[in-house]
Amino acid sequence: MAMAYSLPSNLAPSTVANTASLLRIAAFFFVSGAAIASRLFAVVNYESIIHEFDPWFNYRATKVLAEKGFYEFWNWFDPTAWYPLGRVVGGTIYPGLMATSGVIFNVLHSLSLPVDIRNICVLLAPGFSALTAWSTYMFTKEMKDESAGLLAAIFIGIAPGYISRSVAGSYDNEAIAIFLLMFTFFLWIKALKQGSAFFGTGAALFYFYMVAAWGGYAFITNMIPLHSLVLILMGRYSNRLYVAYSSWYVVGTLSSMQVPFVGFQPVRTSEHMAALGVFGLLQLVAFTDLVRSHVSSKQFQSLIRVSVVVLGILGAVVFGVLTMNGWIAPWTGRFYSLWDTGYAKKYIPIIASVSEHQPTAWPSFFMDLHFLIVLFPAGVYLCFNELRDEHVFVIIYAFVASYFAGVMVRLMLTLTPCVCVASAVAFSSLLERYMDPNEPNEEDAKEEIKGTANPSEPATATPAKKSKKAEKVGKAASQTSGDLSSKLANLVSSKIDKQKGIFGLDTRLIVLMNALMMLCTFVLHCTWVTANAYSSPSVVLSSNNPDGSKHIIDDYREAYYWLRQNTPETSVIMSWWDYGYQIAGFADRPTLVDNNTWNNTHIATVGKAMASSEEKSYPILRKHDVDYVLVIFGGLLGYSGDDINKFLWMVRIAQGVWPDEIQEPQYFTPRGEYRVDAQASDTMKNSLMYKMSYYRFNELFMGNVPVDRVRNQQLPLVGPTLDYLDEAFTSENWIVRIYQVKKEDILGRDLKSANAFAAGKKRKRGRPLTRRKALV
Amino acid sequence: MHRHLALLAYLLCAFITYVTAEHSFENTAIVRTVELAGSLVHVRTTFVVKALETGSMIYAFALGPDEAEKTSFFEVRLKNEQTPIELQHFGFNAQSNTYLYAAILPNALKKNDNVTLELETVQTHATYPWPAAIGQNDEMTLKYETGLFVLSPYPTSVQRTKIRSSSPRIKSYTEPSNVEAFTLDAPVTKSGATITYGPFSNIPTSALASFTEDTQQRITIHFNHDLPVMEITKMKRAAEISHWGSNLNIQDDIWLHNAGPQLKGHFSRLEHQQQTYNNRPAGHVLRAFSVMLPTGVRDVYYTDIVGNVSTSHLRASPSVPKGTKGKQSSYLEIRPRYPLMGGWNYSFTVGWDSPLSDWAAYDKRDGRYVVAVPILTQFPDTVIDEAEIKIILPEGATDLEIYPPYSPISVKKSMHSTYLDTKGRPAVSFFFKDLTDRHAGFIYVAYKITFFEHLRKPMTIAAVIFGLFVLSSAARRMDMRIRSKNY
Repeated sequence: MAMAYSLPSNLAPSTVANTASLLRIAAFFFVSGAAIASRLFAVVNYESIIHEFDPWFNYRATKVLAEKGFYEFWNWFDPTAWYPLGRVVGGTIYPGLMATSGVIFNVLHSLSLPVDIRNICVLLAPGFSALTAWSTYMFTKEMKDESAGLLAAIFIGIAPGYISRSVAGSYDNEAIAIFLLMFTFFLWIKALKQGSAFFGTGAALFYFYMVAAWGGYAFITNMIPLHSLVLILMGRYSNRLYVAYSSWYVVGTLSSMQVPFVGFQPVRTSEHMAALGVFGLLQLVAFTDLVRSHVSSKQFQSLIRVSVVVLGILGAVVFGVLTMNGWIAPWTGRFYSLWDTGYAKKYIPIIASVSEHQPTAWPSFFMDLHFLIVLFPAGVYLCFNELRDEHVFVIIYAFVASYFAGVMVRLMLTLTPCVCVASAVAFSSLLERYMDPNEPNEEDAKEEIKGTANPSEPATATPAKKSKKAEKVGKAASQTSGDLSSKLANLVSSKIDKQKGIFGLDTRLIVLMNALMMLCTFVLHCTWVTANAYSSPSVVLSSNNPDGSKHIIDDYREAYYWLRQNTPETSVIMSWWDYGYQIAGFADRPTLVDNNTWNNTHIATVGKAMASSEEKSYPILRKHDVDYVLVIFGGLLGYSGDDINKFLWMVRIAQGVWPDEIQEPQYFTPRGEYRVDAQASDTMKNSLMYKMSYYRFNELFMGNVPVDRVRNQQLPLVGPTLDYLDEAFTSENWIVRIYQVKKEDILGRDLKSANAFAAGKKRKRGRPLTRRKALV
Repeated sequence: MHRHLALLAYLLCAFITYVTAEHSFENTAIVRTVELAGSLVHVRTTFVVKALETGSMIYAFALGPDEAEKTSFFEVRLKNEQTPIELQHFGFNAQSNTYLYAAILPNALKKNDNVTLELETVQTHATYPWPAAIGQNDEMTLKYETGLFVLSPYPTSVQRTKIRSSSPRIKSYTEPSNVEAFTLDAPVTKSGATITYGPFSNIPTSALASFTEDTQQRITIHFNHDLPVMEITKMKRAAEISHWGSNLNIQDDIWLHNAGPQLKGHFSRLEHQQQTYNNRPAGHVLRAFSVMLPTGVRDVYYTDIVGNVSTSHLRASPSVPKGTKGKQSSYLEIRPRYPLMGGWNYSFTVGWDSPLSDWAAYDKRDGRYVVAVPILTQFPDTVIDEAEIKIILPEGATDLEIYPPYSPISVKKSMHSTYLDTKGRPAVSFFFKDLTDRHAGFIYVAYKITFFEHLRKPMTIAAVIFGLFVLSSAARRMDMRIRSKNY
């Protein structure tokens, strides 16, 4: 047989296997290194700090766990959150993340390695990304072979779609959840392939870990049943499936119910019903199988028809009745918003107000996945070509995750592993085809013209560097992938020949070089995106000085630290809920609302206080014992994530609860524009938020026309005045402004007239004497 | 040593009988100079002393109760000499209503011999803001109170008090009355930033309850001060010695407080920025300060509970060879996260590494290491209310000996366990109160450490890793399956 290039033939198979194994370990070592190192941009560019919002709560909870032990943490009631309601933390969180860090912390300390808990939290996500790469490798190995596995590992290791949620400091549930997701899936595939109760139980245990770690466990809860269902519908029911699913479902569900936050949800909410239903179905199918082996086939046919219809109707009726009676909770709003992207905005503005819940824009697919998104369909196609049980899983995963990623930006995260796996399969097929030194001969070419390759045909491509087991898998894969790659080859050579296949070294090199170049651009892209887009802690901002050096804008920490050091420990801080966790973490002060948005009314109350005029919001502030109000204002610096830009969401959320008092249209100009300048509506100008944002801002311009740099609007020369609040602190770049709520006037006047009196203004005639009224 | 004991015994006897005994000295002249500032007030008093008996060698100083409470540093030297004279603190003496200190002169004096003694004290928390609360743009004024006469258990021929303010803008000062017995001129004169009380002549023995009640007067100076009054309410220093890293790491946790007048109303960033813009910064606001670090420091960090503070600059200078008295030092310019208004707090951490060879020496004769650990980093015009200095020695250090430059309030020994320690490192903690700039000094620690102790950590790690390898290779060779492969 002709060879495009020669291979050494005098190598012992064991040498080849050992070398391949060593190379794999080395490659895997570097993959882990790359995955961890690229996530450290955040630490190198900024510092070892917890990022963003939710991680701050996780960090705070982890500190409680590390300092006071697990039982204290479990029973932790946090009186400082959701003042005055408080929050039962132990029962309202997924403790997996904190428990993981707590275990790492305790293990390190028992080895007398006193690593700071903050550093453990910061570096947890990069550490777990290496584990994710490993589990993706294992998963892909089940799909194709080790080489595809390594490719998938490096893809997931540096794909921005996953990095965006797992940079150092991004201490969120997703940091460990993606590892758990992939590992559970791997164990499930393994269990399914081998029909092993051991791997099934393993999948269940990791499913439990996942349930304890992330609300997104529902994805697994529905993916595995869906896969099983599809397999049954395809007529692929087997004892292996029965054993794998049953062991997973029973152990997994029982253990998941041990998490307090989940509790009885697995048997009472609609999201979990699919798993239960498939479990029941499997029992039926298994039973039918048993029956089939005992009765004749004709009787069996009629028996199965009747029973399927009867059971189907019965199941639906039972489900309906249970839902009607409230035994099974109906779908939650968050779930509906997955199907109707406009749903949340209409009915639950609090969900829609989060930027990561917005539908995904097209460019972000490329941004997060680069050329993988192009290879992805090819990989799915290759899965169709082979269509073993595990390939069905990838296909379903691909379809489901693609849909969800299109609905919500944050669900891009669940799509990424699937894309990496599918692309790795496609890419490795391509490489394999073009690295194969065997030249096609007449027979092969003829066979290929006949149509799709026949898997039973002896494979032509048997790369030397492969272990025995991989060879088996690889043979089939390369054969089928040959179909696509030969088409590609035709495109490259752009001449239609009767003989199909790859001839010569040059054609091979052209394609391989192209492939290599794609890989290189992928690495460049990932590095660039990671460094520039995903590594900002968002509590620390940075800009570049004219000389190129970095200028750190540290207003958040300045203000939070001021609160921590110079206000009484019991002062209650009111701010929009975005900053609740940060205030609790940085400043250690009670807050009214925070990022755990469980109480819509409480948040709406804060929205109402912010959106109303001073006179109306003052009683609200006083009733909630608010001492300080904190607003974020970016107008001086041009920082666009400020409260004025979020203000409409506050209005909307408040309107949802008090439609009579707060109306969104009143905050627009008559022409329907959202403005802050002189044309702004009176309601807007009188709102507490507007006043707090622009209080004394005009004086900074010393007589010139003040300009809001975020909204690029010129403000009126006379700024707003405050009667019920005092400015207490403003950070260096005016990003954080803190106001103290005044106590009631000691003479019983309302504060507005008290201020007017102090300023020496005469009371307008005709107005009732508020002082006398108040004294009654 | 015996000589000391004998002297002490003699001293005690002498002091018990001191009031009744014949005076052995007479003050020819006393000049007291008070340098006013925010947190620290330096008082230097020069005594020209004449012996009335041959063999007099114990001279007593007296401080009024209020002054003694404020005084945290007390040192006596002969004029033009560097080494201080040995001192004994005798505490409160009810008979004289003063606190008494005795200096043991190096040489006994003959009758009518003269000697000039210089007493240097540093008073902490001696000034207080008046008014106690001011606005952001107002000027800060402080008040300082002291006694008109320098107290002494001996009669004084002539004495004078000079009070030097930090700025010539002195709002008011007390005009003493009823001092005709001691002077015929104006009892007080002001020139520039200096106010001079006296000279007063022929003052009888003043360290007597009768004198302090009848003749002594309080004088008050009310003056402008253009620098913030800084107070470190607590400082925790941890000094870690590492022979392997050849490193002395020093980390200070500092709780800083602006002890100036309370801020009236609220902080306005606008006004603060306008002050900067108009180049008229208010004196009582602490915006930034710089501290001197030793030469040769590296990896300096300035952080607080919420993370790194990016607003600092370091001007490092390299180590100078031991023994040479280099004038240079590294400067760390620190800007707190927010400007410290009166009454505000700010806590932070400053730490650095420096080569151990700059601080340690090996004594070949008895095989000991001697390490000098600086007690404090000097903050400009700042008092440290409470200080804890913890010196962490290398693992396995034995035969600890400590030589603090002045006696701490208490010393505590403990064990400190850190990176991969097996039995922990011995640590010594020193507790001090009211430290001032004059308390800068070194605690010398001597210890022995064997060669094996140096190797302990690498050996432990090697042993553990070797154990892991053995275990894993054993595990790989074990067949844990229930059924054999050939089944």
